[in-house]
Amino acid sequence: MKLMHTKLPDFKRKVAEAGKKLRPETEVELRGLENMESAKLASLRVGRIEEEIIEITQDPNVAKVEVTVLPQIPETIHTVVIKGIQKDGTSKKTILESMFITTPAPECYYYDSEEVDDRRVSYD
Amino acid sequence: MATLKYKLIPQGAAEGRVPINLIFVDKKDVVNAGITYRQACEAIAKNFKEPAAIDIIDMDAITVTSDGIVVDYAVVAFASIDYGMINRDFGFLSVSEQPYSEKLLEEEPHMKQWDAIDAYRGKRLFRGPNFEDRWPRVPHNETQTITGRIANNNTGSEMMNVVDMTEILVPAFGAIEIMKNGEVLIGVAGPEISVGIGMVVFETYGRIFNRSYGAGKTAHNSGLYAKTVKSDYPAIAGRKSTLAAYTIQALECGLIPGKDLGCSPAVLSIAKAIGAPIAFDNIEERAWIELESVGIHRKDLEAPSTPLSKEEVIAHADEIVPGISDGKLFKVADIVKECEAEF
Repeated sequence: MKLMHTKLPDFKRKVAEAGKKLRPETEVELRGLENMESAKLASLRVGRIEEEIIEITQDPNVAKVEVTVLPQIPETIHTVVIKGIQKDGTSKKTILESMFITTPAPECYYYDSEEVDDRRVSYD
Repeated sequence: MATLKYKLIPQGAAEGRVPINLIFVDKKDVVNAGITYRQACEAIAKNFKEPAAIDIIDMDAITVTSDGIVVDYAVVAFASIDYGMINRDFGFLSVSEQPYSEKLLEEEPHMKQWDAIDAYRGKRLFRGPNFEDRWPRVPHNETQTITGRIANNNTGSEMMNVVDMTEILVPAFGAIEIMKNGEVLIGVAGPEISVGIGMVVFETYGRIFNRSYGAGKTAHNSGLYAKTVKSDYPAIAGRKSTLAAYTIQALECGLIPGKDLGCSPAVLSIAKAIGAPIAFDNIEERAWIELESVGIHRKDLEAPSTPLSKEEVIAHADEIVPGISDGKLFKVADIVKECEAEF
């Protein structure tokens, strides 16, 4: 099986288009990717998300779709690049350090929904 | 409909010093209820819809403080709850028992307390979760549970709200007092505890680390910044006399700070006061920098002094043991609400 990947700008466009497909007036908000300038997303999941957005908007009373992207593990490890830059723009030294960041877990984003259908990757 | 008893220290308790709802459950009550630890946490979550950290505690077991003092209580499971829920994968952790073995005592000299102290011999040991307990967390993840706004870290001893970003420390001696309905000292951790938290011992599946830093080293390794990293967090500590009594008990086993026990300001200060040996040369330079930043100097520790008796150290523990700013003693009964969860 060949897994292809979607460009970040294409993902953003696809989310917006899926949200407005059934009713163009539907408001679509994509959160959680603001800090990323470039990325590739698993196309298999992109297709599922497009279809799931359609599924959510099939309820005629849905006026807005919030699509929030969170790390599935709420504590993530990050590389911190501490780089000194000389006056002439060159760099003599960089230190790489680790940073562990714990962020609000997904419950914060769906606690008021009546129904939650969990289709995430399982660890079992 | 059955019920499960639990203790709640509500947000705002102790004259506003406690920023997060803290729940403590006696393991015996869970066993008597005939449910699992996870089911107990789920039952509490369904009854108590607010954000909270849960520790399930076995008062018949033993565990180890970060600086290597063995104490007679243990967190056997912990959880984070919010909005009535527990996160499917990361909201709960159980702690497996670590069986007694000669190899363990050989590798970890501070565990000689298990054999040497009558009250501990034969008791079950629980420290931190093992690899299987932690799944699907990976080795770099901390030993914490996360649901919604609440993270319950370092095996139920550092509780955070990651939305309003408040935090509180519940060191071992504070948790023991809570379970025994004794007295707790609640204040701001201060620079000495901030430094001391990093002076850990080498342990397999410790409450904080797994086989990382040995006695005499600093896990912080951040020089003059170590005293700042946790200095402004509130803490629910035990009485300093309690900490002193447990620490003296470890020293009386022949364990040496800096070699067998962590070189925290509290352990070093008590060892100096009672005249117990300190492994000065085994304490690494980076640790001395952190200790000296909070006024613990090698030359003062090495200077001749008249040792105090055990009773004198315990009686004067408030002056001898550094740490906790603006602390105030509270009767646990005055800050705890006894609750029941239906299930």
